[in-house]
Amino acid sequence: MPSDRHNGSLNGPAGSSDPAGRQAPDARAPFGPSGPPPRAQLSDALDRWLAGLLPPVAGVALVAVGSLGRREVVAHSDVDLVLLHTGHPRISEIAESVWYPVWDSPVGLDHAVRTVDEAVAVARSDVKAALGLLDARYVAGDRALADELAAAVRAAWRASPAGWLGELRELTEARWRTAGELAFLLEPDLKEARGGIRDAVTLRALAYAQLVDAPRGSVRDAYRLLLDTRDALHRTSDRALDRLLLAEQDAVAAALNYSDADALLHDVADASRTIAYATDTAWRQVDGLLSKRRRWPIRRRSTVNRRPLADGVVEQNGEVVLARGVDPALDPVLPVRFAAAAAVADIPPGRSSLERLAVAAPPLPDVWPESALQSLVALLGAGEPAISVWEACDRHGLVEKWLPEWGRVRSLPQRNALHRYTVDRHLVAAAVAAAPLARRVARPDLLLIGALLHDIGKGLPGDHSEVGAGIAGRIAVRLGLSADDTDGIVRLVRYHLLLADTATRRDLDDPATLEVVAEAVRHDGVLLDVLHALTESDAAATGPAAWSGWKAGLVSDLVRRVHVLLGQGSPPTPRPRPAEVFAAAAALPGPGECAVTVHGDEVAVIGGVGVEHLISRTAGICALHRLDVYAADVGTFDGHPVVVVRAAPRFGRLPDPALLTADLRRAVAGNYDVSTALSRREAEAREGPAPAPPQISWLPDASTDATVLELRAGDRRGLLHDVTAALEESGASIRGARISTFGSAVVDAFYLIGGGLERDEIGKAVLAAAAT
Amino acid sequence: MAKLVTAVIKPFKLEDVKGALSALGIAGLTVSEVQGYGRQKGHTEVYRGAEYQVDFVPKVRVEVVVDDLDAAKVVDALVAAARTGKIGDGKVWVTSVDEVIRVRTGERGLDAL
Repeated sequence: MPSDRHNGSLNGPAGSSDPAGRQAPDARAPFGPSGPPPRAQLSDALDRWLAGLLPPVAGVALVAVGSLGRREVVAHSDVDLVLLHTGHPRISEIAESVWYPVWDSPVGLDHAVRTVDEAVAVARSDVKAALGLLDARYVAGDRALADELAAAVRAAWRASPAGWLGELRELTEARWRTAGELAFLLEPDLKEARGGIRDAVTLRALAYAQLVDAPRGSVRDAYRLLLDTRDALHRTSDRALDRLLLAEQDAVAAALNYSDADALLHDVADASRTIAYATDTAWRQVDGLLSKRRRWPIRRRSTVNRRPLADGVVEQNGEVVLARGVDPALDPVLPVRFAAAAAVADIPPGRSSLERLAVAAPPLPDVWPESALQSLVALLGAGEPAISVWEACDRHGLVEKWLPEWGRVRSLPQRNALHRYTVDRHLVAAAVAAAPLARRVARPDLLLIGALLHDIGKGLPGDHSEVGAGIAGRIAVRLGLSADDTDGIVRLVRYHLLLADTATRRDLDDPATLEVVAEAVRHDGVLLDVLHALTESDAAATGPAAWSGWKAGLVSDLVRRVHVLLGQGSPPTPRPRPAEVFAAAAALPGPGECAVTVHGDEVAVIGGVGVEHLISRTAGICALHRLDVYAADVGTFDGHPVVVVRAAPRFGRLPDPALLTADLRRAVAGNYDVSTALSRREAEAREGPAPAPPQISWLPDASTDATVLELRAGDRRGLLHDVTAALEESGASIRGARISTFGSAVVDAFYLIGGGLERDEIGKAVLAAAAT
Repeated sequence: MAKLVTAVIKPFKLEDVKGALSALGIAGLTVSEVQGYGRQKGHTEVYRGAEYQVDFVPKVRVEVVVDDLDAAKVVDALVAAARTGKIGDGKVWVTSVDEVIRVRTGERGLDAL
């Protein structure tokens, strides 16, 4: 305040009214026509003022650390000062002559009085203090002493990174957990959130230790924008506020000459993404460097461990990279398969591979092949790891190649008190929240895609549900969904708010209310379950205020009542036999033998009359040939058991049909122990986060005499073999089956016949087989 | 003095109740999402083989403080607006209020309503 004896004003050139620097500069000066005073100017004015406070005594120096040390003071910043000395007897008196005027001014103070050795010792034991001291800068007094401190702290920092890296990383991750991600929050903390100011400062600290290159170019620009925004926020709110609250956004945007707050938030989000990405890359470089250093004395060359994850995709030294010899230009599905493999294995995607994919991969065709859709569903179904993989892909422009519509929702703010995230992050978060609900629905693929697209209409004029339904429908066609499933996606997007709205605002006792919902899901119980799960995922991704046990209870009640209205429906029926099977059946195999036809990705096996274990052995042989079975149908033809599987090779091409046929014949004849061979393969099984536990349910099927067992489980190698073997061992006879894979989830319906089926026993055996 | 009118009603009736009360000139009310049971009790549902225990029924609780003289009118309007005639319509009860203070101004009594 002007009345304060140590205070002055900083309107106009810094400190110009007070060249002697006897008054504290007013860091709160409002914006003039030319904007805020530059940070360096404000820092210089503070320097001059503080220098005037230090009495001229030998062996004493005043050193600025933290933001003043970096000459990046913004309005309402505290100043961090260290009074250095060499053991002066009257140091307390000297300190008070500096601190008291600062305490009496509006400038906040963080202070310490130390010798160089003491300061270095503090830096060694306390990472936070070290981060500030790395920016130590001479302000007044004995310059040699200040320089000695700066050199000693940086030397100690460089000498033993192992001593502080672990703690710095823990601090950083704890901060991210508390403050969240700047780019995706509607009211982000500019300083503490991931991708914020503190991360940029941490990057510099890593560069001081010569572990990574100093931030430059886009990262420096991004950092400057965040500092400008924080400066403006401090000034417009007239306090040291680091959270860019909705109420302040308009004023800050105006102060920074933005057309509106959305434009500001868009740029802030972009800047923080740049910093977050540089931070991730830097930490990965640090990890790589440290692991190499550790290995150095043992072997001169670092070992390269490669582990195959998917066709053309391997893990190498903690990153997912393209396999050697893979040409991305030849495979349009590779980018989405690469992303899915990274998310499912929960391993970060390598930057150079992403760059290669971004440049070289051809666009996906107008209608995606099924393998691309499966990969997208697997990526979304991977849960939490999908977020960082999606973000990495988006940074390299891959997401927009898959979904050109994504550009419009990227970093799109939403003015809604319930929402925490920007639209793009909300959509990915909804899909992540849907992943654990996959077992609750018979169509996890529709749930995940619906979750990813449910708000795709936001940012366009009109009701976002209606607008979004049209967009989602076009996307569904492109993804290669059937007409029926496309209609399902359109309805999910169109009605994604219907259940919550109806449950809380309509009379559930009124049959008309239930009819509206039944109509919306086209009287389809499967789609109703998907819409229910989507409602919950949407709410979970919105924010803590959007969902409660109260609302969940009402919505569940509504869904239950609509199910009663719809009736139980019928379980999925086995698909009709393809013509090729019947063609092959012209030469039906004799007892104990089998006939095999391989047609594209379809393998049909017909057993001789009385052949047993045909399903599990076929599934086992497929797994041994590294074929991922994504659909299977089982039935009988003229008394002969028939198994038709559709399978995708995990790595590269389909196996030689002759080899596959020979193995299948041996297995059916009982000359090949499939179970033992499979368990040997377990060792190389894919690692990753454990999927949600399997679930079974018994569905009545009024149309036939069969009992239908439905299994919902996470997919893995050999799953179909293990489950069908368990069924066969428990004495159940599998009359038919319909196996469906949705990314990394399977929904299998087995039609069981046989008198006196022990449901409990069979259920337990199947669950145990599916879980292992 | 004043009365506190508390109502526990079916969630979808909230809009009607709000409308009825504002027609009487009631300026403010407090709404919370609650769960409970009365004569409806809890019940068990079976769906696709799994049992669901429905212990509590979701309701909305409405609270409004009114002048003694208006209480009867408010209760009547509230009951009429919340009624569907079916089980689970809820309850309304009235309690005496000793003191009311408006936080912003410190006004007390009926001035604070």
